[in-house]
Amino acid sequence: MKKEFFENEIGEAYVKATLDNGLKIFILEKPQYKSAYALFGTKYGSIDTIFNVNGKETAVPEGIAHFLEHKLFESEDGDAFTKFAKTGAYANAFTSFDKTCYLFSCSDRFYENLDILLSFVQSPYFTEATVKKEQGIIGQEIRMYDDSPAWRVMFNMLMAMYHNHPVRIDIAGTVESIAKIDYKLLFDCYNTFYNPSNMFICIAGNVDADTCLEQIERGIKPSKPHEIMRIKPKEPYEVVTNYTEQSLEVAQPMFCFGFKQEVDETPLTVKEKIIIAMLLNIISGDASPLYKELINKGLINDEFESEHFCGDGYSALIFEGESSDPKAVAKEIKNEIGRLKRDGIDKKLFSAIRASMYGSAIRMFNNVESIAMSLTDCAMNDTSLFDELKYLRSITLEDVSRKLKCFDTENTVLSVINPK
Amino acid sequence: MALEILKLNRGVEGLFIKNSRFNTTLISYNFYLPLNKDTVAANALLPFILTSCSKKYPDFSRLNLKLAKLYGARLNATAEKYGDYQLLKMTISVINDKFSFEDESLVKNASKLLLDLIFEPNTENGAFFSEDLEREKRKAIEHIKGEISEKRVFAKKRLIEEMYKDEVYGLPKCGTVEDVEAITGGSLYNTWKNMLETAFVRVQVVGKTVPEGFFEEVSERFANIKRKNVTNCTESTKTNAIKNPNTVVDRMDVAQGKLCLGFSSELYGNDSVALPLMVMTDIFGGGPYSRLFANVREKMSLCYYCSASSIRQKGLITVESGVETENCEKAQKEILNQLQIVKKGKFTDFEFESSIKSITDSLNSYNDSQNSIDLWYAIKINNKKLYSPEDIAKKVAKITRDDVIAAAKGVKLHTVYKLLPKEASN
Repeated sequence: MKKEFFENEIGEAYVKATLDNGLKIFILEKPQYKSAYALFGTKYGSIDTIFNVNGKETAVPEGIAHFLEHKLFESEDGDAFTKFAKTGAYANAFTSFDKTCYLFSCSDRFYENLDILLSFVQSPYFTEATVKKEQGIIGQEIRMYDDSPAWRVMFNMLMAMYHNHPVRIDIAGTVESIAKIDYKLLFDCYNTFYNPSNMFICIAGNVDADTCLEQIERGIKPSKPHEIMRIKPKEPYEVVTNYTEQSLEVAQPMFCFGFKQEVDETPLTVKEKIIIAMLLNIISGDASPLYKELINKGLINDEFESEHFCGDGYSALIFEGESSDPKAVAKEIKNEIGRLKRDGIDKKLFSAIRASMYGSAIRMFNNVESIAMSLTDCAMNDTSLFDELKYLRSITLEDVSRKLKCFDTENTVLSVINPK
Repeated sequence: MALEILKLNRGVEGLFIKNSRFNTTLISYNFYLPLNKDTVAANALLPFILTSCSKKYPDFSRLNLKLAKLYGARLNATAEKYGDYQLLKMTISVINDKFSFEDESLVKNASKLLLDLIFEPNTENGAFFSEDLEREKRKAIEHIKGEISEKRVFAKKRLIEEMYKDEVYGLPKCGTVEDVEAITGGSLYNTWKNMLETAFVRVQVVGKTVPEGFFEEVSERFANIKRKNVTNCTESTKTNAIKNPNTVVDRMDVAQGKLCLGFSSELYGNDSVALPLMVMTDIFGGGPYSRLFANVREKMSLCYYCSASSIRQKGLITVESGVETENCEKAQKEILNQLQIVKKGKFTDFEFESSIKSITDSLNSYNDSQNSIDLWYAIKINNKKLYSPEDIAKKVAKITRDDVIAAAKGVKLHTVYKLLPKEASN
């Protein structure tokens, strides 16, 4: 086992360990807390639809990573929920575009819970009957999202933005695609992606790191690391179409306005991500001139927000909200970016936003769940938990201005949900 | 450690909840007023307009810039129903002074900022400015109309409206669009004055220390106000049991139907009295070990979610589920069947024990969340003793199977609400 320690100037510290089989473990102790949060994850999400292991290429139905997440709770000796029920822990799981995570939080019997987590994630058990049962449940989950305008507006945008990248498909798949899933396919995916070399464990809270590490090392089944090749179709730079709409039962239009970004071979660094986050705040954060303008014109409300959406092979800046006139909002956003490019960024606004983001980074350490989730980002991107605080001290107005200059304002998609 | 309530003024209490584990300090103002058809909308608008601007910061954008400079201090406003009362809540949370680059008292500045927002709003000649008023009214109206977007939330709201048609608890928490439209700058000014004069108030600090002189200053501000007819937060009225349950169906252009059931409970009241109802609801439809999850979802594969929750101060239990129209009857039948099983005490020891453990485990985590712990005490307003989450966890651990069965016996179906796709026939 290889161990590294990290600590920072605000008094937080964590350990990162790597087992011989490649499993990465991150633990941040919070002895003054009562509870703890643990998460066992794999770099496997909805975008991993075609892959190659040991020379064999496999294409799988859309939504299978999420389906596998549901099914993994069942083991031959009963389901994981039943085991957690005996300790009183809260247990759950989630699947995103690029990862699947199993988690629990508790204020008592942590090490028992950790054993349950280690055991059920490593004990796949699928049969024809249990797969069939799950198709009914997930079918209803998909139908629920069909009625969710917030979900639809986002995925409609992604479909209009990406020609081929699988980020355009719904995480849960469709009722039709999940009908094609059988237990053999589930095992294929499991054996490919649930190899410790592709996995990580993140823990934060009232725990002893050494005890956790020993227990995890004991509890991980022996395995050989293997190389996974994720096959991504070529994605053109241009969007598919600039505008897409759908009608649903909403009171006023909802929108998602996205700027598709060029993606390099090398992933974005923490510093680059912070600069983009700052830029979003400068363009449309609640202290920005644009936000004031849009509110005063009656074009947005408190639902308005922005995010940098990025991962393996995709990157987009997204502005979303509700508006009586989404096209007018999109135009104002483009104009504001043009104005900022021309006139430059206000120094006072820049330093206020930097202070604000610094405060948020410190605030993050208040909550064991947020810490564990941030450690997950570290595991996924091979970064340090303290990078953000470090860079927030050193990023300059020039760094942000430089980024602003290479901002393409034409490669955009406006997705709108109109009232019926 | 026992917490001590400070009597700052008539009906104004201060509470310091010492907790050193957080990097931030949270200050919360909680104003309680009776729920009333004529005042609900204007009351609900207050926390939002008050936290958007003030005499010192007449422009909301300048206020937001100030918050950013205070290292991203977070100002938050809510207006919720709490039993037959309205709870108007305004909070500010800020990182502790030691993290500031300059030697700045962030906590003191943030606490002063919120105090000014509440006591010195941007008004002139006894009225709010129309620019501020129209902005906040528009946002409130869009929020009310927007409630149809999330069907799960909307369906539950409709159930409550139907169950309490002739009672204040049935009022929408922010009033109706018409109520909001009727608010004027002058009427809102009077609403603000009324809040300061008559609300029962609890001011809380959650953090390492109280900013110097904080409660004294709050007390001084209230001393300048003529406190009268202070809201007496007594117990809310109990949900009436009815003989023949109602069924209400709304139609919308949706893919999935929503099924909501509302039940009345004989047992009701504050934390320590109605705890068996909490356990009973959890066994019925709480965690994955519950009757509804294990049967309606896992065994029958009818839905993705089917869960129960209780509002103990009203003696109300609700069940929510998302199902296909053709499965609606089947799901309803099974939900009621599961309730019968709980009533007859035919739940397993495993289900009972899991529920107790899950509730106590979660109560024991409360102190790790600043917002949870603030809310926990903010709603303990007429209790003789200020029980901590750990105190309640100990009480829950003592609840017996018989307590649960007794609580279940008093539970009766009141209203079935269905939100169904337009074309469907049942």
